[in-house]
Amino acid sequence: MIKHQYNKKSKISFSSAMLYLTIIFLFVPLFVVVLFSFNDSKGMQWSHASLFWYKKLIFESPSLWSAFKNSLIIAFTSSITATFLGTLAAIGIKWYRFKGRNYITTISYLPMVLPEVIIGISMLIFFSAVRVRLGMFTIFAAHTTFNLPFVFMMVSARLDEFDYSTVEAARDLGANESQTLRKVIIPTIIPGVLSGFLMCITMSLEDFVITFFVSGPGSGTLPLYVYSMIRYGVSPVINALTFVMILGTMVIAFTFRRFLKTVAASS
Amino acid sequence: MKKVLKPREREQLLGTTYAFPMGIWFTLFFTIPLSIIVLYSFLKRGLYGGVEWEFTLDAYRQMFNPSFAKVVIRTLWISIVATLGSILIAIPCGYAMAKSKYQTILLFLIIIPFWTNSLIRIYAWISILSTEGFINTLLIKMGILTEGVQLIYNNGAVVLVLIYMYLPFAILPLFTTIDKFDFALLDAARDLGATKLEAIVKVMFPNIKSGLSTAFIFTFIPIFGAYTVPLLVGGKDSTMIGNIIVDQVSKTRNWPLASAFSMVLTLISLVGVFWMLYNGKREQQQTKKTTQQSLELNIRRHHLRKVNSK
Amino acid sequence: MKGVEIAVEQVSRAYGTFKALDDVSVTIHKGEFFSLLGPSGCGKTTLLRIIAGFDYPDTGTVEFDGKDILPLPPDKRQSNTVFQTYALFPHLTVYENVAFPLRLRRVEKEELDRKVREYIRLVQLEEHIDKKPSMLSGGQKQRVAIARALINEPSVLLLDEPLSALDAKLRQNLLIELDVIHDKVGITFIYVTHDQSEALSVSDRIAVMNKGKILQIGTPYEIYEAPATRFVAQFIGESNIFPCKVLACEPYGKEYMLTVDVPSLGGEVTVTDYDPSEIGAEVDFTVRPEKVRITPNPPKTTHTYMNSYKGVVDEPVYSGFQSKFYIRLDNEAKPIIKVFKQHTAFLDEGPEIEWRDTVYVSWTAADGYIVKETDR
Ligand SMILES: Nc1ncnc2c1ncn2[C@@H]1O[C@H](COP(=O)(O)OP(=O)(O)OP(=O)(O)O)[C@@H](O)[C@H]1O
Ligand SMILES: [Mg+2]
Repeated sequence: MIKHQYNKKSKISFSSAMLYLTIIFLFVPLFVVVLFSFNDSKGMQWSHASLFWYKKLIFESPSLWSAFKNSLIIAFTSSITATFLGTLAAIGIKWYRFKGRNYITTISYLPMVLPEVIIGISMLIFFSAVRVRLGMFTIFAAHTTFNLPFVFMMVSARLDEFDYSTVEAARDLGANESQTLRKVIIPTIIPGVLSGFLMCITMSLEDFVITFFVSGPGSGTLPLYVYSMIRYGVSPVINALTFVMILGTMVIAFTFRRFLKTVAASS
Repeated sequence: MKKVLKPREREQLLGTTYAFPMGIWFTLFFTIPLSIIVLYSFLKRGLYGGVEWEFTLDAYRQMFNPSFAKVVIRTLWISIVATLGSILIAIPCGYAMAKSKYQTILLFLIIIPFWTNSLIRIYAWISILSTEGFINTLLIKMGILTEGVQLIYNNGAVVLVLIYMYLPFAILPLFTTIDKFDFALLDAARDLGATKLEAIVKVMFPNIKSGLSTAFIFTFIPIFGAYTVPLLVGGKDSTMIGNIIVDQVSKTRNWPLASAFSMVLTLISLVGVFWMLYNGKREQQQTKKTTQQSLELNIRRHHLRKVNSK
Repeated sequence: MKGVEIAVEQVSRAYGTFKALDDVSVTIHKGEFFSLLGPSGCGKTTLLRIIAGFDYPDTGTVEFDGKDILPLPPDKRQSNTVFQTYALFPHLTVYENVAFPLRLRRVEKEELDRKVREYIRLVQLEEHIDKKPSMLSGGQKQRVAIARALINEPSVLLLDEPLSALDAKLRQNLLIELDVIHDKVGITFIYVTHDQSEALSVSDRIAVMNKGKILQIGTPYEIYEAPATRFVAQFIGESNIFPCKVLACEPYGKEYMLTVDVPSLGGEVTVTDYDPSEIGAEVDFTVRPEKVRITPNPPKTTHTYMNSYKGVVDEPVYSGFQSKFYIRLDNEAKPIIKVFKQHTAFLDEGPEIEWRDTVYVSWTAADGYIVKETDR
């Protein structure tokens, strides 16, 4: 019998098969954990579905919630600082020639490419050399430092598409320096600024290594708390927490879905 | 009267006003700390942590201690295997994503696990691989095993979890460059007689070199400096440079040695980054030359060679 | 007349050692349509940016109606600019772009709306009022830029090659529109271009620039008919230029009749000039290709001051309404002379002239002119 020629072309190509397998690979571990968060008993023996661990997570984990509170405080303060400093610097570097410009440009990319351990260790040694007590402030400083390059890069990328003559046009039409910034520059680069800010929040919330080095007593963040749970006695509360965190991530990613490509391009 | 500045003075002033807050921040919290590490690596270790102000190359000498050398070599091969694994998986993924109509959804699916807390992701693997973990429980229940097998705390687990953790770092830059790639060039190559695979290897790869090198560097550097993964899923023989550094700081309190190892990590990372930047630059210059022409030439030459060898 | 008088005095601006502007002085009258014309990179934009306040001269002054404006930032000057790239705000609609200057001045709502609509009508963009710049064509963007620059009612409008991105037809139409707008608003226009036909057709006066210097300032007629330097003669229109030496100079009516020795034309040539020349001076003799007559036979008229040469058609170039001939003259130097011949169907002067034909070229003394500054 003659087979139709075009039948031999399979519907799913090798590359898309790989992609789907990869996505499954990425999600299966998370899925298993989420599944067992609804397990009534401890361990990987399925007994029956219940919300027991969620109750425990919400009502009986005060130290977890205080760590989460710390995380939020750090995430927002450091992200706002980084977004502010990084955006201004990106504007300055892009448009003006001044002494120290090369230094700032080079230095602003490095923290992003060095391994986290290096950043953490160097800050730890620095803080102890200048005798700063480890705590919320040191975590804030460290997070701002590793967040800054991302804001700087994303805003710079946005500014590259920006036509500088619009700034001159604004000045020409009667806007002063700050009006130009508020009415022309910011509105045009705001997508870059927002995606930078978003990156900062997620990276700050999820950072463990750097925080591990620069945290002090009482300043533990959520990742540190999770670490101690993993290291010293796993409670299935962590399973419940996983699901909550994944949901949180999804909400953030979904809110900023318009900027996903920018994020992808710069990570 | 208000002093009027010339534009060039104003430029200096404005540039400074805009950029210096960040400049100062980085100087204080990045340049100075890094310089301290450089400095400490040349100093004598203090008795109870810290350093003594005496120049010595002790720290660098200690690095050649066989037990450390073994760790360095292990770090290298684990990093290379994990990085190459990630990239091999990432290339078809990036390609499929770039060709797909559902880019946003796919990006979403790649980014969600990537943004989920790294410890949570490691924990997920622990709960799957450990002796009482998901796989063992499942296999015992199915009667294949009678007793849990140790799947975790070995180098294989470290490589697997590292790939899992850093795969998105490889996929995203590859997706971005492949997305910009002009797929008509592939058709042109096919038209000139290349097979599909040849077209991809000979035409697409040279054009996405910058994406490949970015993917390589962005996966290799964090893996090379990995700390949590070997700590949590590795065994006694899985320690990597990152673990040595932390141990030297927090347990042995040998700051000069930790600093020296940090220097090594930093230098290797920097070399990688400059290599990547160099590649990106060169590619930009090349694309200016008519890529299309040189590609066609290449394919034709290749094709001819094939015909001749028959 | 509205507008201001702009006096630029001895302005120089260097980038490193490169002199973008070299001792430039020019006075632009109230309400004038003034063009800066010159090849790419000659410093036109630099001069315009200094007037607008985006750049600052190393030396020299710029005055509006006698007041020094150099200390003022761009937003405090009475000038507005139409940028080469339009510089429309991408995040604002056409309406908001035009309203931008008024919003800055917190103009009251109804007044703002009335004015914005008035200026949008002036540039005929009523239909596109709610579009974003990315949805407009090049010509429409340019008109938004003009409306936006005019709404502040500036005393000077600076236009930096506003038509360079457009195609030839649209360029012609917008140029006429610009002229109409200039007549309506009556303010000073400074128009930068490297296109001589644009400058010649609309300007009241033109400054021709090269390498950071102003070579000549004059009406389009003066620039074309009496170029001050060899560069101007070559840059504006086409020219046949030959170095020569003055042999004799006598008054001739209001002008002067010169006899010059042009070695490449093989001897003496007569030519009139507005000014007297020194005997023995080394100058350039110039004749425009359209002033040269080309005939298959020797010219009949025996005008006293007629110059006539025999030659061979080296290359004919047909371009629709006219043809351009490169004629190699029949003497030792074998110079090439360019000639334009209009295709006027009814007044045809004999048979077609073709490649390698032997022809005669001729012009009267009044058709040629002398360029004294040879910038050699
Ligand atoms: N910021 C700068 N730095 C260095 N050189 C500059 C700068 N701006 C302009 N120049 C140089 O000054 C010269 C004059 O530039 P300008 O922009 O005024 O030319 P232009 O006459 O407007 O040319 P075009 O018709 O191409 O727009 C050019 O040779 C240019 O290279
Ligand atoms: Mg210009």
